[in-house]
Amino acid sequence: MKKILFIILSLTFLTACERKIDEFASNANGINFSKFVAVGNSMTAGFADAALYRSGQQNSIPNIMATQFQTVGGGEFRQPLIGTEDGVGVNVIPGGVYCTSKLALKIIPDVDCQGTPLGTSSLKPSFVLTNPDQNMLKQQLLAAPSVPGPYNNMGISGLTLLAAFMPGYAAYNPYYGRFASTASSSVIGEAAAQQPTFFMLWLGDNDALSSALNGTDIQITPADTFAKYYPMAVVALQQSGNNPKGVIATIPDITSLPFFTTISKQLPYNGVTLNAEQASGLNILYTMYGHSDIVWHEGQNPFVYVKSNGKWAQMQDGDLFLLTVPTDSIKCKGMGIADQSAQPFPKPYPIPGKFILDKTEQTNIQTAIAQYNFIIKGVATSQNLALADMNAYLKTLSSGLIFDGIKFSTTFVTGGLFSTDGVHLNPRGNAIAANYFIQAINSHYGCQIPQANITEYKGLVFP
Amino acid sequence: MGLIGTSLSNDASSLFYNPGGAPFVNEKWSFSGGISFVFARSTFQAKDVNYQATMKHELNLPFYFYAAYKPTKNLSVGLAVNTPYGNRLSWDDTWKGRYLIQNLSFKAMTFQPTISYKFKDIVGIGIGLVYAYGTVDLNKAIPLESASGDGTLHINGTTGHFGFNAGIMVHPVKGLSVGVDYRSKIEMKVKGATATFNVPQSLRAQFPENKVDVMLPLPANLDFGASYTFGKNNQWMVGINLCYVFWNTYDSLVFDFETKTSAVGRTANPAMYESRLIERIGVEYKINNMVAVRLGGYYDPSPVPTEYMNPQTPSVNETGITCGLSLYPTKGLCIDAAFLYLMGATKEGTYSPDNFAGTYRTGFNIPGIGLTYNF
Repeated sequence: MKKILFIILSLTFLTACERKIDEFASNANGINFSKFVAVGNSMTAGFADAALYRSGQQNSIPNIMATQFQTVGGGEFRQPLIGTEDGVGVNVIPGGVYCTSKLALKIIPDVDCQGTPLGTSSLKPSFVLTNPDQNMLKQQLLAAPSVPGPYNNMGISGLTLLAAFMPGYAAYNPYYGRFASTASSSVIGEAAAQQPTFFMLWLGDNDALSSALNGTDIQITPADTFAKYYPMAVVALQQSGNNPKGVIATIPDITSLPFFTTISKQLPYNGVTLNAEQASGLNILYTMYGHSDIVWHEGQNPFVYVKSNGKWAQMQDGDLFLLTVPTDSIKCKGMGIADQSAQPFPKPYPIPGKFILDKTEQTNIQTAIAQYNFIIKGVATSQNLALADMNAYLKTLSSGLIFDGIKFSTTFVTGGLFSTDGVHLNPRGNAIAANYFIQAINSHYGCQIPQANITEYKGLVFP
Repeated sequence: MGLIGTSLSNDASSLFYNPGGAPFVNEKWSFSGGISFVFARSTFQAKDVNYQATMKHELNLPFYFYAAYKPTKNLSVGLAVNTPYGNRLSWDDTWKGRYLIQNLSFKAMTFQPTISYKFKDIVGIGIGLVYAYGTVDLNKAIPLESASGDGTLHINGTTGHFGFNAGIMVHPVKGLSVGVDYRSKIEMKVKGATATFNVPQSLRAQFPENKVDVMLPLPANLDFGASYTFGKNNQWMVGINLCYVFWNTYDSLVFDFETKTSAVGRTANPAMYESRLIERIGVEYKINNMVAVRLGGYYDPSPVPTEYMNPQTPSVNETGITCGLSLYPTKGLCIDAAFLYLMGATKEGTYSPDNFAGTYRTGFNIPGIGLTYNF
């Protein structure tokens, strides 16, 4: 009796006391996710830290979504992966392009205007390669991806709605040129030719933003043009052959991104402090150069910058410094005031327009985005597609959200969402965005796609 | 026997369950000691995510030792050593909830000198001074990554604090025994525990080597028990026990760092525990002079509200079944074997301050052995 009881006891407690819970019940609800194709710009491509690099692409929003689609019949999601992890960023400069590597946070010793170390240091985004070999970067960018196409991720940095229809666009944008199937392909055409069963379309940011970012006169795509082409893009995908379902997304108010908000929190628009003598000297100087309309006075004065129409003006409250503005030149070289070291005489030194987003530009962009989003929402309704309202979601995020014990906000670096360029998300931010797309799909199509485990994705990496 | 000791007085274990029962032990000396083996597992399924994790409760070995002596017929003095609270749990270092907890070890050992007196074999009262010694060891990840991975925080400290244990036992009629016992709350404030941060180099100035105060209150208990012995040769005994645990003292887990920076200060993680009543019932049958068998059951509802369900203490409503066997090879000697099986219900909840959501299930198998000698 005793023996039997002991045997029973032993068996009972040695058998695993693990208690099972039901796993997540995935359910496609009849939606076919076997061929998923994503069309968009840099946000879709997995561009981050001001460059295209391999692990950035591997952590792209649609790739994270495709990983989750695997539980509901999703197939392979092929991406045009670049070979380099250091990345390639293409910047248009007068007479050509200049390539950079990606940015990463680095500890930079603080120096004064004479270059003397101050003994302190700051955490700043810096290029991982200084003075990189231009030919090497161009080769890395244009080298054919190791896996042949067609590619499910048709996200292309810089892509606008109109450019997506342009045959031969590969010649104008190396981010498309590097993987376009033919020299005469268009992005939408190539996406439709893959006959997706499910698609994602997230376009429009660049239609509103390009002009301001480049400090040039590239026109904002007019709303009536957007209203004509956006449904065409959607219908081209819908009529591609497999009667696909899909998700489209609104455009976030990009002026709320850290790229536009960070510097202005530290540097006031009227950060020029003058005494009476300095003010009168500047007035004489500016008059000599034909800008007598710019008046300096004793006390606090706004910086001077170049407007998008080429005219000079003093900044106003609410004008934004972009993250790329050379703060060292403002602090030490007189940028925004006058270059005192110019020979033989000092000369006025306005801040180039590409570093400032003034209130007029902000209003134009915000108006365009509001109009585009109205159009996008209308198309989602009329074409019966899932809508990810990324504009609304970014607003929610900017006031702060918490997931799994991690606090997120749209604050640069410490907010945990953005990469070091202040525009594009880091991998963990991409996972949060991908989850929002998945929620939109689940809600519209009644399916149950699991969301990504955001803690599996890296946030910003600190040195 | 379903842990219904509040109304029992067979041996020195009364010192812990109800000091008022100690003078009712018949013999002059009573010694009792034992150990349990806690085998436990918790499983976690994340909400909306295809993700499961299992938590290992490290093998926990709660033990007890009780010694009672009766200098006179009605007076009893004794010492009880016990480990009433212990929690050693570890999730995988890379698991989804690592920014809440990776592993936690909290152990408390109590030393309780006790004095008890009974009046006319009817009413017994007793009181013990409780000294609790506790150790805490905690690891969690910090969402600040370097190339080598997450930041981490390790906290390690010890503390000792006082409380009391007082009880009364009444034998109103033959065969019936009724007891009430109150064990006070003990504020286990760990002062100056060592806090070690491991964060990326560029952020180290904000996370200096530090000391931290952590408050881990042991809740007060109010127990009521009644048991009745009957049948031929008093072969049968049934008992019930109601235990009210004042969990509401645990409203938040506070970490107060000594050296404060913009990143490190005083954080209060809401726990919002609610007081709960644990119901227990048990029955014993003496087969003969040598062997007794016992069976019991209990229901221990989780004190953790759904919106504060957290992976540090993934507490679910527990329904337990206990069985036990006692052997009396010679007069005064008793060998006990007990087995406690907690089925572990599933509980879905979110730790809302951290937005960490999922379903938990925890199960326990707890075999135990004990030895008692009265003479």
